[in-house]
Amino acid sequence: MNGSLATPEIVLALCGMGILLFGVLRRGDGGLICSMLTIGALLLAAVLVAGGAFGLAFEGQFLVDPMSVFSKFLILAAAILGVVLSLDYNAREGIGRFEFPVLMLFATLGMMVMVSAGNMMSLYLGIELQSLSIYVLAAFARDDVRSAEAGLKYFVLGALASGLLLYGITLVYGFSGSMDFAAIRQALSDPTRVSEGLIVGVVFVIAGFAFKVAAVPFHMWTPDVYEGAPSPVTAFLGTAPKVAAMVLFLRVMVGPFGHVLMQWQALIEIVSVASMILGALAAIGQSNIKRLMAYSSIGHMGYVLIGLACGNAAGLRGALVYLVVYVFMFLGTFAVILAMRRRGQAVETIADLAGLGRNDPALAMAMAVFMFSMAGIPPLSGFFGKLYVFLAAVQSGLWTLAIIGVLTSVVGAFYYLRIVKVMYFDAAREAFDRRPASLSVVAAATGLFTTFFFIAPAPVLDAAQAAARVLFG
Amino acid sequence: MSEFFATPLGLVVLMVLETLAILVPLLLGVAYATYAERKILAAIQLRKGPNVVGWWGLLQAFADAGKMLMKETIIPTGANRVLFLLAPMITFVLAMIAWAVIPVNDGWAVAKINVGILYLFAISSLGVYGIIIAGWASNSKYAFLGAMRSAAQMVSYEVSIGFVMVSVLLCVGSLNLNDIVLAQRHIWFFIPLFPMFVVFFISGLAETNRSPFDLPEGESEIVAGFFVEYSAMAFALFFLGEYANMFLMSAMTSILFLGGWLAPFGIAPFTWLPGPIWFILKILLCMFVFIWVRGTFPRYRYDQLMRLGWKVFLPLSLFWLVLTAGVLMATGWLPGGAA
Amino acid sequence: MIMMIAFYIFAAILLGSAALVVSARNPVHSVLFLILAFFNAAGLFLLAGAEFLAMILVIVYVGAVAVLFLFVVMMLDVNFAQLREGFQRYAPIGATVGLVLFAELAMVLGGWRVAPGITALRAAPMPAGMQNTAALGDLLYTHNILLFQLAGLVLLVAMIGAIVLTHRDRRTSRRQVIARQMARSVAETLELVAAPLGAGVAPGEFRRPKPLEEAAAPHPVAPHQGEGH
Repeated sequence: MNGSLATPEIVLALCGMGILLFGVLRRGDGGLICSMLTIGALLLAAVLVAGGAFGLAFEGQFLVDPMSVFSKFLILAAAILGVVLSLDYNAREGIGRFEFPVLMLFATLGMMVMVSAGNMMSLYLGIELQSLSIYVLAAFARDDVRSAEAGLKYFVLGALASGLLLYGITLVYGFSGSMDFAAIRQALSDPTRVSEGLIVGVVFVIAGFAFKVAAVPFHMWTPDVYEGAPSPVTAFLGTAPKVAAMVLFLRVMVGPFGHVLMQWQALIEIVSVASMILGALAAIGQSNIKRLMAYSSIGHMGYVLIGLACGNAAGLRGALVYLVVYVFMFLGTFAVILAMRRRGQAVETIADLAGLGRNDPALAMAMAVFMFSMAGIPPLSGFFGKLYVFLAAVQSGLWTLAIIGVLTSVVGAFYYLRIVKVMYFDAAREAFDRRPASLSVVAAATGLFTTFFFIAPAPVLDAAQAAARVLFG
Repeated sequence: MSEFFATPLGLVVLMVLETLAILVPLLLGVAYATYAERKILAAIQLRKGPNVVGWWGLLQAFADAGKMLMKETIIPTGANRVLFLLAPMITFVLAMIAWAVIPVNDGWAVAKINVGILYLFAISSLGVYGIIIAGWASNSKYAFLGAMRSAAQMVSYEVSIGFVMVSVLLCVGSLNLNDIVLAQRHIWFFIPLFPMFVVFFISGLAETNRSPFDLPEGESEIVAGFFVEYSAMAFALFFLGEYANMFLMSAMTSILFLGGWLAPFGIAPFTWLPGPIWFILKILLCMFVFIWVRGTFPRYRYDQLMRLGWKVFLPLSLFWLVLTAGVLMATGWLPGGAA
Repeated sequence: MIMMIAFYIFAAILLGSAALVVSARNPVHSVLFLILAFFNAAGLFLLAGAEFLAMILVIVYVGAVAVLFLFVVMMLDVNFAQLREGFQRYAPIGATVGLVLFAELAMVLGGWRVAPGITALRAAPMPAGMQNTAALGDLLYTHNILLFQLAGLVLLVAMIGAIVLTHRDRRTSRRQVIARQMARSVAETLELVAAPLGAGVAPGEFRRPKPLEEAAAPHPVAPHQGEGH
């Protein structure tokens, strides 16, 4: 047993409990201090992740490899930016209680466990830790009906998805005789041991994951939850958990179920195509920007799933790069959405953005960058995300997927560009309140990343390449 | 003779005899516990107590029993008849069956099971059902209030009782009640685990709904709480159950902390008395304290009761559990797992 | 032989009471049947040699969880007739879903194969030389410590969630401050005043005990001062 491999997780858990105790004993408004402490703890965890070794721990239930390290960095970055985004919002909306950052911390911990899972049971517990924290976060503004509804809806549907996932896991366990990823892979390498029951189990597992990454047809919760949850929670919810769930999705499909690729590939293709189409078409009619982002994220997950459908190292690399690009675009967009505030009141319709180009050129510039990037216009990062995924698809002969992907990108560009049009060409409205420094910092950082990704994409590409290579030996 | 007890029929006869050997003294004890309570309370309050029936009132308990037997059991209209009658039976039966695992001397128990302490804990945690069902089935507001209070109270205090038991078990390394007593040959656990002993005893008061935690009956606020609608034998069963539960709690305290049947010192004058006598003496001592507490302390307010359970006892017992485990690990005194 | 009879008795009562849980008209009866079902499940555990699990099932589910169920069910005035209307309406959908699941289960059972070492496992449920409890502890705290701790964290988060979403600090609640109660002396609470016959004591000539909260934090609603008993 080599428990020291889990040092970042253990330290993070201890920090979380420490911050919780601190917040409880302080009795007063500890929200800000606890947020700062949480950011510190997440940074500490990132340092520990960087300094960690690779290997298996806890009898194979926990593993650290380039893929888990890659995704942990991404998750921690998203979590830190998420906490920063919440600083100002929570104080203004009167939900600045110390439990907020603590729950974010535990959610992050759950995601780190998810991407390090080497066993169906640690996978499930990681997912539950992450989901449960986010259910609570979604309902955190408990006096707001929409937030409470979002939390409840997410909880009920999430519980259903957990049930599907568990049912699938039990079937897989029953027919392969193990919970361990490596052992399942070993068992399935013998084609005679692949029975219908096992395939049914795999399908249920896919359904559970599709819910967690909000891919069609398990996306119904997304728009309502994204719209109802407090905006910083939506920003967090749309990034870090998606990364964790998607990485886990990739790992489980390619790892334990790698030998039954033929059985699930078509399924992933269908899910991917449906997500891309729905993400592109349903977003057109939206007037609420958070709802629009929900459909946008469904579409993005469709593109990422193209990478999985390829079922090879190139596809996996494309998917991982896409996730990195997606996280920063999404967080940046939410930094702008959070800055949408008139006379202390948060506004969230697209029409409210009118005139931003004149009132606040810098913010409008950032938003334009994110929108162009999401539409996939070169040389912004979003273009490269799509490029690698489509290339991998073409190389694996999945022409249909690549073509549908390009077509939906074109359709999607319509509503992204509409926002740019509203900002620059519509009749100006009253200016927004002065934006807090924290939002400016996040918007600037993510904007710079998105804009200048093309100059030095090598580190991200190499890391993704290394991560993808692990799964394909 | 011993051959007969080896046959299937003999085994059954033996089991019945063993059961009777436990239950008859227990029921006699319960009868006289009511008498003792009245006498001790009277002494505390400078009164005489029962002194008419028999010499010094010694037959009072039987007079009461006779009266209860001859009265009519009234079932209120609107009550759920089955559950109404089931509730006192549950209370009484639970108080009786727990004694199956109590070791009176080394190896003297009706059922020598490995998880005896868990069995006791399970049975004592079921006690709440008799009360809750009685309160609900009576279809009366006072009774229902009493039942609600009792449910919350017993669930709360079970938590700390559980932790106290675990810290004792850590020192023993076995869930067998016989082993728990034998592990105290050198030192009775109430010395090293004194705070836990106090927590256990006070939680025991709450668990048996005894004063100062007798809110479920709270006669000054909710008349008689959950058994306000009961009369005659149904009432008597509750009454017997409560006293049998007190005996059970006393026995558990003796086994967990006061060395069960062991003599205080393993030397001559103390070892002359046989183990069961020591065990009974310890139970009686605990019973006396139960009654003494009732004569001395006023009833807790409900929020104070909850505060004590959740904010004082739970953290304390949790802390002490961790401390016990830490000390045992650090000193290497941790008993082997497969004891 | 006796084991077999006991098994069938426990199993039959378990299934019967489980059926009654869902079909009983009175929700309180449902919970009581649920408790009966738990007991019989514990009995089955005992027969299987899992004495620790049997006891824990009774302690946790019957002793704590079902009490809270009963508590809630008794407090709520659930109109079951109304609930059943919805049941009737959705019955076809429910039946369809059930049928699909049943078909899948049948398919799964079609692929059923008994693993090679299973009979040996069943005959010896515990590692040799280990008691039931110790074996379980070994499994939980040695082999699956990571999962155990993660499950603990999940429960912690659930607890935080419950508190965050429901707890409201009420300013009007009268907290007990034991230290202050203990620190109070007779002198500041009680004063003996000589009351001459026929004259009594005029108001204001003697002190009254102050309410505890008054000294600490001003009460939003001023308590009555100087009123009679």
